[in-house]
Amino acid sequence: MTPTALDGVRVLDLSSEMGWYAGKLLADLGADVIKVEPVGGDPARARPPFWLGQPGRETSLRFWYFNANKRSVTVDLQQFDGRWLFGRLVETADIVIESWSESERAALATLEIEPAAYLEQRPSLVWASITGFGLDGPKAGWEVTDIVAQAASGIATLAGYPDGAPMRIAGNQAYIVAGISASQGAMLALLQAEASGIGQRVETSIQEAFSICQETAHLQWDFLRTSRERVGERRRLPGIGTYQTRDGYIFSMVGIPGFGAPWSEVINWMDESGLAGDLTEQEDLETFAKFDLRILLDDAEQARFAPLLERTHELLSRFYASKTSVELYEEGQSRRLLIGQVATPADLAENQHLAAREWWLELNQPTTLGRPDAALKFPGSPYRLSETPTSIRRPAPRIGEHNQEVWTAEVGIPAADLLAFAGEGAI
Amino acid sequence: MTLTTSQRPLDGIRVADFSWFGAGPIAARTLADFGAEVIRIESEARVDGLRIGEPIKPGGTGYNVCAYFNNFNAGKRSFLLNMSMDGARAVAYRLIERSDIFISNLTPRMFERWGLRYEDLCSIKPDIIAAYQPMLGLWGPHRDHAGFGAVLTPTTGISHLSGDPERKPVGVGTNYPDYVINPGHTVIAILAALRHRRRSGHGQRIELAQLESVAATMGPALLDYTANGVVQSRKGNQSSWMCPHGIYQCANDPAGRERWIAIAISSDQHWASLCTVADSAAFASDDRFGTLLGRRRHESELNDIVSEWTAGCDAASLAATLQSAGVAASVVQDAEDICEHDEHLTARGYYQYIDHPETGRSLYDGPIVKLHGAPGRLDTPAPLFGNHTYEVAVDVLGYSAEEVAELTARGVLS
Repeated sequence: MTPTALDGVRVLDLSSEMGWYAGKLLADLGADVIKVEPVGGDPARARPPFWLGQPGRETSLRFWYFNANKRSVTVDLQQFDGRWLFGRLVETADIVIESWSESERAALATLEIEPAAYLEQRPSLVWASITGFGLDGPKAGWEVTDIVAQAASGIATLAGYPDGAPMRIAGNQAYIVAGISASQGAMLALLQAEASGIGQRVETSIQEAFSICQETAHLQWDFLRTSRERVGERRRLPGIGTYQTRDGYIFSMVGIPGFGAPWSEVINWMDESGLAGDLTEQEDLETFAKFDLRILLDDAEQARFAPLLERTHELLSRFYASKTSVELYEEGQSRRLLIGQVATPADLAENQHLAAREWWLELNQPTTLGRPDAALKFPGSPYRLSETPTSIRRPAPRIGEHNQEVWTAEVGIPAADLLAFAGEGAI
Repeated sequence: MTLTTSQRPLDGIRVADFSWFGAGPIAARTLADFGAEVIRIESEARVDGLRIGEPIKPGGTGYNVCAYFNNFNAGKRSFLLNMSMDGARAVAYRLIERSDIFISNLTPRMFERWGLRYEDLCSIKPDIIAAYQPMLGLWGPHRDHAGFGAVLTPTTGISHLSGDPERKPVGVGTNYPDYVINPGHTVIAILAALRHRRRSGHGQRIELAQLESVAATMGPALLDYTANGVVQSRKGNQSSWMCPHGIYQCANDPAGRERWIAIAISSDQHWASLCTVADSAAFASDDRFGTLLGRRRHESELNDIVSEWTAGCDAASLAATLQSAGVAASVVQDAEDICEHDEHLTARGYYQYIDHPETGRSLYDGPIVKLHGAPGRLDTPAPLFGNHTYEVAVDVLGYSAEEVAELTARGVLS
């Protein structure tokens, strides 16, 4: 059997949607990740999009994506017996991940569910907490969602058009980054715990983990005391930016000296379609040949060539609009011109390169009871490890699907007791 | 038992950082934050574009004054090795032999040209962990297509799905995927490989195709297409299950600066709390908005009247008031807010200010995650260009002073 990198590591995942990705990253690397859900199931099980558009707790594509490879047990931490069971489960765990808010933490503390106590009980344990703003500081109690984290970390102000509202980045990226941060922290602490026997608390503040995405904005403030603003698309030169095509959009970065083929190649290509207009005239060709990086950065230089730049932009727009995005991408790249598709999810699903690399996986996902499984074309992994490849070994679990095997076979609760716990609603 | 805070998880691990720009250097910096010794290989013949990027320290010139580079390379040493010179490969191999981790985001062609393919490294150091981050992977029909950070936002679906539905997709203002997703995933793969090496004695190759790494974060939208045939499109700041959900304009600040607030209402109870805060606003007593279904049915109208209400409010006080009522909200912070006025970030000490010989006391991002027992830290600022060539050549690689002089005279080292 192929070894996995996190073989033998048990993770208890108590997190909300905010922390799902952390558990997924660890699970795909081979960890045994057990979702510990409240008795009715994780409320975020009912988040769209849904399989065949049918809302339900066992039909969420979002839930399936982030929870494949995990097992599920249910436990009611409000009940004494539930807490006792949870304590037994923690004794078998290497890593716990939760995303409790400050008020949830306070409420759980009154029930004597406190990370510090578990860390004492099991000294090698790694306890990862994901919160919007961290465990201390004046905003530690603040509520968070993806858009709130994107606003607080300085990303949203940079995205969007200057004459419109700040925008968030799609795909709940604050939660993705939270997951990356927490799984990095958990693995760092795991390496240390395995070497020293000593675990620790790991803390993700989404605001902090996301801040580096400001790129240079915070650095610019530090050096120049000016705030970087959102520019939408400030077209400095023709050939750089988003252009409409016959069937969508491309992102074009052509004609930058030192990056790919020169302007003459672009003009040749346009000319082959009869769309180069008068740009093929010798005088213009000579001017293009003289372009260097200064023109990109220097307003005076840009002004000097303004009429030619404007004319080029118009002709290039017309040329791009005459072809499909895939044509422009494939043909442009073969001419060493830096063109990328503004890809839709459909484009990615049909992307030849991803197909040739067999990035997509197949997964049979059980859905609502009595319905046939969903045969999914499932997104692949962010990375490929040659010795310990990632894999999807099981579909996302139903609510409490693994109560029996985890509580009885693995934690050692006698079947009769388990029945009693179920009867009183503790699991 | 507790850990002493001077111990870090990656103490004793050496990283040969053959990367440049964003995705590679940031990953290696995270490793440095947590104790690894990182040697950054640079060359006058191929200067990292970020060393000559912006922002530049006012009055500064040269390779050491760009904060963009400095932020991603703190805690490393800079070693100048010109890989196109005869004899350079032997020096690189001597470093590989003494390293635990190799990391690079060069193109596949460069790995071949410089003899840095995994097979090459393995023959020198069989248990090396070699992390490659080419844009499109090490193989496949588009392997050699050109691309860098700016192209990644469009090609991974992020541009198509982000922004105003009425306008063309122009990306998200920065080369977002380059800065967190790709370095972040790379670090995770490296940590996994380190654990495997510790248990088995085996190293391995990590291939992170940047396209795949970013696409993996877009799972729900991709599945909506592969399972349902639905091609999702951008919908601005709207949420599929929260309402109202958006970024609303507030009153300008006294200096005339536009101010905005993000508000996310995830339950009827939160809606009721918001109405309590906004008790005089017309929507507060409007029954149509009492349920999620009702709010979604009238979403556009609702957004308009919420905007009318926020337009008269001070963003910071409104965010604080909403938060004390339990409603998720935040000012849309810009760099000035974050660096100067965010008392929370200051109290937590996220940003670190380190003295740098040419830029003075300068701001650096802190570690991406906080380990309570063994926190990460930045020991040193970004290295000056080539500042550690001699000490690395002698102390790490074991060359004599004469050998260094000879390699330098031949242009291999500088």
